[in-house]
Amino acid sequence: MNRVIFLLIFSNILISELILEVTQGTDDPYRVALVTFNGDAKTVNEINSVIRNNLIRSGEFNIFEDDDLLSLPKNENEIIYNDFKILNIDYLVFGEVFIDGNSNSVEYKVFDIKRGTQVRNSTVFGIPNRNRQLAHYVADGIYEEITGIKGISATKILYVTEKDNFNLVISDADGKNEQLLLTSSEPIISPTWSPDSKKVAYVSFETGMAKVYIQDIASGEREIVIENSKQISSPAWSPDGKFLSLTMYQDGNAEIYILNLKNKNLTRLTNHYSIDTESVWSPRGTKIMFTSGRSGSPQLYEINLRKFNSKPKRITFDGNYNAKGSYLPNNEGIVFVHRSKDQFQIALKYFNENFVRTLTNSMMDESPSISPNGNVIVYAVKINGTGMLAGVTLSGAKFILPASEGAVREPSWSSFLR
Amino acid sequence: MQYSRINFHLLFFLIFLTSCSSMNVSQEKVYSEDVRTVQASLSSSEISYDSEAIFANAIIYFEFDKSNLTTKSLQTLKSTVNALEENPAIGLTLSGHADERGTREYNLALGQRRAETVAEYLILNGINKNRIIVKSYGEEIPAMSGQNEKSYAKNRRVEID
Repeated sequence: MNRVIFLLIFSNILISELILEVTQGTDDPYRVALVTFNGDAKTVNEINSVIRNNLIRSGEFNIFEDDDLLSLPKNENEIIYNDFKILNIDYLVFGEVFIDGNSNSVEYKVFDIKRGTQVRNSTVFGIPNRNRQLAHYVADGIYEEITGIKGISATKILYVTEKDNFNLVISDADGKNEQLLLTSSEPIISPTWSPDSKKVAYVSFETGMAKVYIQDIASGEREIVIENSKQISSPAWSPDGKFLSLTMYQDGNAEIYILNLKNKNLTRLTNHYSIDTESVWSPRGTKIMFTSGRSGSPQLYEINLRKFNSKPKRITFDGNYNAKGSYLPNNEGIVFVHRSKDQFQIALKYFNENFVRTLTNSMMDESPSISPNGNVIVYAVKINGTGMLAGVTLSGAKFILPASEGAVREPSWSSFLR
Repeated sequence: MQYSRINFHLLFFLIFLTSCSSMNVSQEKVYSEDVRTVQASLSSSEISYDSEAIFANAIIYFEFDKSNLTTKSLQTLKSTVNALEENPAIGLTLSGHADERGTREYNLALGQRRAETVAEYLILNGINKNRIIVKSYGEEIPAMSGQNEKSYAKNRRVEID
């Protein structure tokens, strides 16, 4: 019964492309001059516009382009620092695109205007016809140089779309370059990445009942993780990729188990007559957080995996609906769905604070997923009844990724892809 | 002699530059993004009772975040029990559903709880549990779309068929 399906169609079927809109930036953005790169005009144009959009989307930059600038240096000797100081510009970026057969590369340099010095000189090598990828890497390098935080432009988002069929889709972090992983006439829910971002796990109802599948992204090869007659749901990978926590319905009720992916051994983690589900692993894999109805309403609990027979400890107390938690990558807090005044919103609680910070403000915000640098939360919203993805940065910038058609939901952010 | 000295100075300067504190020099290669698309195979494993199940068909409704049966539901279920007793050959599927408020996985579990509650009632009233398949669709297949209490109430249900 170990069902492995090898497949089928290649994935150049483009579905509803997401269109990005920045709705609010941060209060004090970095002012960055982005001079048009040297090289083949068409390629440069594509690369420069992706870099610019990536930096703007972070909400942390004001970008100045050729028309906004007093001089356009193409190498170090040509820089007139005062031309940039007058405009209160913090950083200057220029570069060159090299076309070599089909595989392009970009060399770019970053200058600190106040200090009057070069701070970065990097080269990114591409694979054929992937100029967007190349540009994402350059944007991430610029972002990291200026903010000190690793950039997320070159990461991916996994999500579910619904239009006639249910589709499992991955795209670049800016919503572009969509690639279809799975299409089905039955619902698909709870998609999530393996820690190395080479596989995805999700719940598909294609057999008429919720079952957890693991699918290899590049080969399309996939399998049902456990074959039995009951429904199985809510997969989450351990940080080392060796285990999957799951919700199983063996005795009719939702309980959390840990599956060893190598030998398929199952360990039961919860045992309570109320609902236990939505398990996730802490960044170091030492704790599991989950949603439980044991107090009479959904609340978040933690189990310490290092302690034998550890009892679930309740960790949310504000309000009567706190669910689907995830840990910040630095383990300093959690992000979850919180109901206040009958609205479901995305909330953040730092472990060293005793209050909940609400990050969003529409009616039905759900499925928060945190970027690998811990700086951005992407989540699902409903606008005029249609599902869309939206994002909020911890520095306060906001953006939406509406699809051009159909509904989009349940985003899941990949790890760093390098 | 003179020439090699210049070269030496240049080399020294280059070493100084690259070791110089603040400048980042890096090289990296982008990630391969090959993807293969899969079409879900709809080899349904469940047994279909459709043709015979008409007598027992019913929908049971629930309160928000609740899975207990209301008085009205009990009346509906009594006639379901009667239909099942009169037709001992038929089996039935109980599909639990939730409204769209709240998280998807919690709603999947909630739908399951509702379907289990109905199953328990039927079993308690003498229906063999081997005749019953229990499952949940959570909030994924609403009976009525719309963000209002009327739709929500229609969607918090167990479908018996």
